[in-house]
Amino acid sequence: MESLRVEGLSKQFGGVQAVNRVTFSVEVGDRVAIIGPNGAGKTTLLNLINGQLAATSGSIHFFGKDVTALPTYKRAHLGQARAFQIISLFQKLTVMDNVLLTLHGTRSSRFKMFRPIEGFTDVHNKAVQTLRTLGLWEKRNEPVSTLAYGEQRRLEIDLGLALEPKLLLLDEPSAGLTKEEGLEIIGVIKGLESSNTVLIVDHDMELVFEVAQRIIVLHYGEIIADGTPDEIESDKRVREIYMGLD
Amino acid sequence: MSWFVINLLNGVSYGMVLFLIASGMSIVLGAMGITNLAHGAFYMVGAFVGWTVAVKLGATLGLGILAGGLAAGLVGLAMERGLLRHLYKQPNEQVLLTFGFVYILSNVCLWVWGGWPRMPFTAKFLTGSFEIMGRAYPKARIAIILFGLILGVGLWWLQDRTRMGAIVRAGMDDKETTMGLGINLELAFAVIFFISSFIAGAAGVIGAQLLGVRTDLGMEVLLLALIVIIVGGVGSIQGALLGGILIGVIDAFGKALFPQMAMFTMYLTMIIVLIVRPTGLLGRKI
Amino acid sequence: MVVANRRTDKNSIMTTVPYLAGALILAIIPLFLSRYGQGLMTRFLIFALFAMSYNVVFGYAGLLSLGHAAFFGAGGYAVALLKLHYNVDLFWITAPFGLLLATFVAALFGIVALRVTGIYFLLVTFALGQMLYSLAWNVKWLSSKGMQGITGINLPDLGIPGFSLDTTSFYYMVLICFIISCILLYRLVRSPFGLALVGIREDESRMEAVGYNVWLYKYTALVISGAFAGIAGVLFAYYNFFVSPNHLGIATSFLPMVMAIMGGLGTFLGPVIGAAVFIFVETFASIFLPQRWPLILGGLFVLTIMFAREGIGVYLWKIWEKVSHRYGIVEG
Repeated sequence: MESLRVEGLSKQFGGVQAVNRVTFSVEVGDRVAIIGPNGAGKTTLLNLINGQLAATSGSIHFFGKDVTALPTYKRAHLGQARAFQIISLFQKLTVMDNVLLTLHGTRSSRFKMFRPIEGFTDVHNKAVQTLRTLGLWEKRNEPVSTLAYGEQRRLEIDLGLALEPKLLLLDEPSAGLTKEEGLEIIGVIKGLESSNTVLIVDHDMELVFEVAQRIIVLHYGEIIADGTPDEIESDKRVREIYMGLD
Repeated sequence: MSWFVINLLNGVSYGMVLFLIASGMSIVLGAMGITNLAHGAFYMVGAFVGWTVAVKLGATLGLGILAGGLAAGLVGLAMERGLLRHLYKQPNEQVLLTFGFVYILSNVCLWVWGGWPRMPFTAKFLTGSFEIMGRAYPKARIAIILFGLILGVGLWWLQDRTRMGAIVRAGMDDKETTMGLGINLELAFAVIFFISSFIAGAAGVIGAQLLGVRTDLGMEVLLLALIVIIVGGVGSIQGALLGGILIGVIDAFGKALFPQMAMFTMYLTMIIVLIVRPTGLLGRKI
Repeated sequence: MVVANRRTDKNSIMTTVPYLAGALILAIIPLFLSRYGQGLMTRFLIFALFAMSYNVVFGYAGLLSLGHAAFFGAGGYAVALLKLHYNVDLFWITAPFGLLLATFVAALFGIVALRVTGIYFLLVTFALGQMLYSLAWNVKWLSSKGMQGITGINLPDLGIPGFSLDTTSFYYMVLICFIISCILLYRLVRSPFGLALVGIREDESRMEAVGYNVWLYKYTALVISGAFAGIAGVLFAYYNFFVSPNHLGIATSFLPMVMAIMGGLGTFLGPVIGAAVFIFVETFASIFLPQRWPLILGGLFVLTIMFAREGIGVYLWKIWEKVSHRYGIVEG
């Protein structure tokens, strides 16, 4: 079954063609990585898919539904979850509040005004469970900014997963992490159930080749290669413009 | 026809004063990201000092403009160096701080100069009038238009053709990089803030011909400046000029056609611009 | 702006004690005060409510508004206009009408002002507030004959036969309105909606990404806040016996901002403490240095922003936490 289909997607900033007629589709359960040199348009592409940016032309279908013009929050309701390149947790808020805000976001309880947030037992239990699994229960009342960088990254990805998304968008999940923390993230991604669909953007070749079944290579906003890790590794053009630089 | 021309001239001359007021505020907002709500209060300080020099001490209008600009410039510089600088990257605190200064400066002016409003004044050689299409038209207003045009060209040159302007434009886009290039952004900011405050103070003396000199000018002028900025768009001289003249002309015809509802033409323009083009007519995306 | 953190699972005794003590003090204190003192207390409660309503928008949702008096003034003008044109005094008519008018104004403002974000929101709300000010100044129907503003407002009629309000009972009426509003606002900021506002203040784009319609939250917060400001305005008209264009414009918009910031933004009781400090200083200034009041106000505001950014209320709260831990009122 098709999860995501991107067709002829383009984005122009002034005169710059950041993403240029990109077409690909992702099946449910796929682990797809998007790689490419700096400025290849990877993050822009993710922003288009998740709706932070509006496409100049082309279309995005998510489980058969045209989401090209939908705002980000509606895409979240349809089942897209995203972890950002720069950690975007609410730094000043407590760990618990971060979890609660994320969990309520895709539930109808998010607009309730006259019941204390603790009163939503199912969400609260889910939050408690998430924090316990992560070993962050003791730190639930500390501001997120006091957590180590790796812990924050882990929390962000796990919060994405706690939403039980149909599509998880990860923007450089290993950026800024130590070797060990990076391995932990790889473990988390590999440990996902096969029904989870994941789209990763990253520089880290080790991570990409470890977790992805399929790799799409972007260069100046265009797809120049799309295949299994083995195919990509042996692709002459990719080696030239991308691996060569590495 | 002469009715139309006279009102157009009224509008353009008023618009030039609005441009003078808004340009400095817009530069600081665009270049430094600081919304200086005390800008109108600087205008008022300039107006009072200018009045003291040009009327009370009997010096020339030119000296009054210089003194007013200098006084406001120094007050602005003191505020930027002494306080605002410490609130770098905290736009809310910065804007609130400047708002506190509206109250402080207004009350200090009241203390020093008293509460009675001063009559509009201008230079001796600008009293009297030209004849335009069979009607007498005050020379002073024509002088304001010329002055506004000269300043507009000067500022535009400063913005687009000088190293200073380049620093400002670069600083706006990426402060860290600009600093990394070894450009002294601190100094550049101090200079920009001084220039902006100077223009405000000088505008206070030039605009005295139209708006008079009062202790409630700080808030009134602030309101005018921000309507102009909202309409014209933030951060460019062209935007302030277009916004100023548009609002000036609309106000002049509004007053002539619907004297009861004069002020609303301004607000109405602002609301329409906000709904149709929230970034202002010549504004970048915010 | 430094904003204190929410705690989700604090011991309830510790949080309840100050509230109950506060309510008790407010209920008893007028018995020991002159009519002048009672008047000041009434003024304090009204402005505390106004500042709390403002806090929802700025403190919680992070929207820096400079047009909040428009809603306050709308509430006040509703009362005044009903009296002036229809001679209606009955609180059960004037209050709902004031509430509705304020809510309506907030709903209209929101549509225009939320077209922009950040500092521009401040500029636009400022201008919109001044527009109402100028409307009230210029339209004859909005003023008593020969003046700017409306006079002749009396204490409200509660419709109870044989009972009419005096200074003391009016104080208690305001107190009841204040406490009810407090309870409603408290529930609001503790709800998922309230936490969502804080999330929006901290990071709008993350809120969008996890599924919140940010615009709708801001808009709703502004309208709700406007409604509470409207209640404060209704009470103010009865307290002041007079409403003027100034009560719609910048001079009045500045007040809840000063109070909320001085007391502690984004904390529930901060604005109340800010209002108390404000009324205290204002009263002394009006006695000893009436001419210099704006200077004192501006100076105080600047000092708060430079040196006491968390707000006085937050410092008091920290002291209370220490005290309560030391004497074992709660487990630490």
